[in-house]
Amino acid sequence: MNKRSSSLLGMAFFGPALVLLTIFLFVPMVLTLAFSFTDYFALNPDLTHFTGLENYIKIFKDDLFVQSFVNTVCFVLIILPCQGIGALCLALLINKVTHCKKYFKVAFFIPVVMSLAVVSTLWMQIYSPEGILNTLLGNLGIPAQPFIHSARQALPSIAVMSVWQGVGYQMIIFLGGLQAINPGLYEAAEMDHASEWQKFKDITLPELKPLCVFVFITVTIGAFRMIVQPMVMTGGGPSHSTYTMVYNIYETGTVNWEIGLASTMAIVFAIFVMVLTVIQSILTRDKEEKDVNKKTKGN
Amino acid sequence: MLTKKQRGINWVLTIILLVLSLFFLFPVVWMIANSFKADAAITADMNGLAAFIPPVPGKGFFDNYISILTNTNFLRYMINTLFYAAILIVCGVVVNGLAGYALAKIKFPFRERWVLLILLLQIVPMETILTIHFLMIAKVGLLNTVVGYILPMIVNPFNIFLFRQVFLNLPDDVYEAAQLDFCSPLKYFFTMVLPMSKTVVATVSVFTFLNVWNDYLWPSLVFTSSNLLTAQIGLNSITSNDNTTMGQTLAVITMVTIPVIIIYSLFSKQIVEGVTSTGSKEG
Repeated sequence: MNKRSSSLLGMAFFGPALVLLTIFLFVPMVLTLAFSFTDYFALNPDLTHFTGLENYIKIFKDDLFVQSFVNTVCFVLIILPCQGIGALCLALLINKVTHCKKYFKVAFFIPVVMSLAVVSTLWMQIYSPEGILNTLLGNLGIPAQPFIHSARQALPSIAVMSVWQGVGYQMIIFLGGLQAINPGLYEAAEMDHASEWQKFKDITLPELKPLCVFVFITVTIGAFRMIVQPMVMTGGGPSHSTYTMVYNIYETGTVNWEIGLASTMAIVFAIFVMVLTVIQSILTRDKEEKDVNKKTKGN
Repeated sequence: MLTKKQRGINWVLTIILLVLSLFFLFPVVWMIANSFKADAAITADMNGLAAFIPPVPGKGFFDNYISILTNTNFLRYMINTLFYAAILIVCGVVVNGLAGYALAKIKFPFRERWVLLILLLQIVPMETILTIHFLMIAKVGLLNTVVGYILPMIVNPFNIFLFRQVFLNLPDDVYEAAQLDFCSPLKYFFTMVLPMSKTVVATVSVFTFLNVWNDYLWPSLVFTSSNLLTAQIGLNSITSNDNTTMGQTLAVITMVTIPVIIIYSLFSKQIVEGVTSTGSKEG
């Protein structure tokens, strides 16, 4: 095939995807960035002005935006340790046992395939004032808790549910990592009569380190993107205690039609997520390069 | 070879995990067991182990399910969603697959730059451009239409990249042989390339299905008319209605979960591999 027809064929194959990528990814990204410097109000587009950085200053002075940001960070701070460490512990246990391995893998993964709306609706019933959880607590002598109906407990309640739903995903990732560790390392350690703890500390953890970085960053990004659960369960309340950043973007843009302001929030949100992604790729790439260096030095 | 002590530890760990998994699954077991009960029975059973045991099958066993299927549009929402998923699987495999093939095997201008760009696009969270998608679809008058819902979801940089990685490993000589046969490139793609890459096609299809079936935000924005709703949005409108009983709510969410459980049991290998590969690719 000559060069010209190959170019044509390539563009023909790549064309449909390129058109859709342009319309639905490049253009919206550019528009979001451009609108973030304007006061674009979709119900009255003629009155749009360029406002420079005004929106950026405005949102950080806006109590609701600051609260949605703080709430999002709180979600991350609860979900990250619980889900990351929980998944690692589950994977270590399941990797160790010889019986019912398959059952355990399935059991802890089931909530992952269930939808956010289903899980949220189910846990609304579980958390309800006369629900099953309060009945169980009552049997243990603990008074009924308001859970998602109180401003203090709503955020942790949703976070716990989110950990329950997500932990199986990272468990599977860790299990894959554990199985990829060279068994020779453990055999060598056993020759030296290393204790279980020493084996974990000196072999398992260092071998899993890049995977840990990956899991911690993806869990953080996932928690940052939280919206559906509070939307279904609490509508962001009570008194905005579960209002998240994405929820704020969503309401400002699609309910209030303040596209300019919503775009500014979206850009701030995107910067956070992208910084996290870049940190992750730097941390993991670092490790790979060191490995390569070690190997070349060894030779 | 396990020593006696190790075998003992193994049993203890197994029992710990068994107890943990029972606690972990209690919401799911409770959901299924009580979806067959009337509200009075759900409340009466709550204070004991009966809360986790379904009633004896008999008269009225499927009452909650029957009343949901006959009194609401729920069956229609489920069929709608299956239909959208089918369209998006076909369009997604064709559009992203062709792009992946071009980026892997065909030389055309700026190919390496396109690959880099598609890699970079994956780090932008979709929530950022959700508002603009909504605005665009509203401006061209496609709100409340199937086309408006489907168009923004077809192309997926992650899937393009996945296809490219798999197609890179395809042998070049088959393509050359096909050209000698005057096989048209498009025909070659559909009759040779895709069948040779069944695994990646299955993985992309399964994940597309799960995405479409479980998606909440985008369909909640696009659809307002009740004829076009997806199962997730329909679920929310049914369960937030005050006339819906607790038993009926549990029946609805059980029914929404059945298709994903079927898909998971059929394709658990692809799903687990897909999940693990996201880890090993980055890690």
